[in-house]
Amino acid sequence: MLSRIALKPVRSAIQPIRLTQTSATTNAASAAVAESPERDLVNFPRPVRQELPGKVRLGFIPEEWFQFFYAKTGVTGPYTFGLGLTTYLCSKEIYIMEHEFYTGLSIAIMGIYAVKKLGPSVATYLDKEVAKSDAEMNAGRDLAIEQCKNRVVAEKVEQDRALAQKMLFEAKRENVALQLEAAYREQLIKVFAETKKRLDYQVEVQNVQRNLEQRHIVDWVLRSVRAAVTPEQEKATLSQCIANIKSLAQQNTARI
Amino acid sequence: MMANLFSIFDPASTLSLPLNWFASTLGLFLLPWVYWVQSNRYHKMFSMISNQLHLEFKTLVGPASSQGHTLIFISLFMFILFNNLLGLAPYVFTASSHLAMTLSLAMPLWFSFMIYGWFNHTRHMLAHLVPLGTPGILMPFMVLIETISNLIRPGTLAVRLAANMIAGHLLLVLLGNQGPSLSSSLLSFLLGTQILLLTLEGAVAVIQSYVFAVLATLYSSEVV
Repeated sequence: MLSRIALKPVRSAIQPIRLTQTSATTNAASAAVAESPERDLVNFPRPVRQELPGKVRLGFIPEEWFQFFYAKTGVTGPYTFGLGLTTYLCSKEIYIMEHEFYTGLSIAIMGIYAVKKLGPSVATYLDKEVAKSDAEMNAGRDLAIEQCKNRVVAEKVEQDRALAQKMLFEAKRENVALQLEAAYREQLIKVFAETKKRLDYQVEVQNVQRNLEQRHIVDWVLRSVRAAVTPEQEKATLSQCIANIKSLAQQNTARI
Repeated sequence: MMANLFSIFDPASTLSLPLNWFASTLGLFLLPWVYWVQSNRYHKMFSMISNQLHLEFKTLVGPASSQGHTLIFISLFMFILFNNLLGLAPYVFTASSHLAMTLSLAMPLWFSFMIYGWFNHTRHMLAHLVPLGTPGILMPFMVLIETISNLIRPGTLAVRLAANMIAGHLLLVLLGNQGPSLSSSLLSFLLGTQILLLTLEGAVAVIQSYVFAVLATLYSSEVV
């Protein structure tokens, strides 16, 4: 672990892993503004968080050690070295396999079995717990974003409502126009009725006048005729009538 | 060279200084490296255990608990746990199997509790010597018994931990010593038994550290 840090190469300026990204953090202008001009990022780059554990071979030997050997001894170098060293230690009895060795062997078997069998499930469970705490940490921010989104939607609804108001105004205008039309028609009919009444009156007046004139003329004619009838004419007419009646009577008696 | 069976516990070092006790600091390497706000898996597991312990100890102390009351006991638990577990690994000195260490943990704790309690809450401590519901005749004997049980508390704390560790290691060493003299066919039985024993020892390591911390919490809660 410590050798890994000692052999770690100096990293170039890589974008650090963030929890979430918004447009503000990807905006080049805002990123430039966020950095302090006095900060030396070339010699002291920002540390980057590792996503996965470091690479190991055989479960516990860091990959960097193999790279260290690679230049001189190639691919099989470290393995040969390890095997040779253990054989040397065991055969020269520098390392004696006494009780601690068998304890170590048992622990190694237990460890390998536990990592192979229980490792993935424990890892997924812990990842879930980490995600839960991440969500808790981001909760305030996410809530604020959610609220802003909801406000945008509500704003759209309000805008639609405002448009609907315009339609309401149109409807109201139409309503008023209809009412005006109805009033106009009513007044028109009233005017018509009034005019007709006046004209009917005139007609009636004329009719009455004509009737009066007719009666007056008839009366005048009768009066003048009656005035024109002299007593001699009356006598003559009367005698003529009597004569006519006598002749008729005679005719009747002759028929019977 | 094993002079007797217990020579495995002898403090050993190449120089004349007792450097073997630095094995207690090995636990510091197992503490999670926390640099980022976002935790990694190991730190998450560690903090989950710590939080669970904190909740348990808080419940044990009850209404008398104050802010940070559980911190020392969680640290105690972690320290003893690392000592016990790392001691199971080969060639690592088990510091908690020595009374020198366990007594150094138990004695100051108990002494401080007693001094604080007896000087500041004398009547409360005297009341504790007679449990609730004791018949009147038995009260003098109860006082004696409670006093004795109180006085042996540091001893029991220390000896319990040391004895458990010694017993476990002894069994492992006895079993392991048969290894070189066995044929390869019987070796699998030996390894199987050792694996079972190691599982037991791992459980005992965790349980003993938990017991030590819980008892220390209880003793502290009695005094407050």
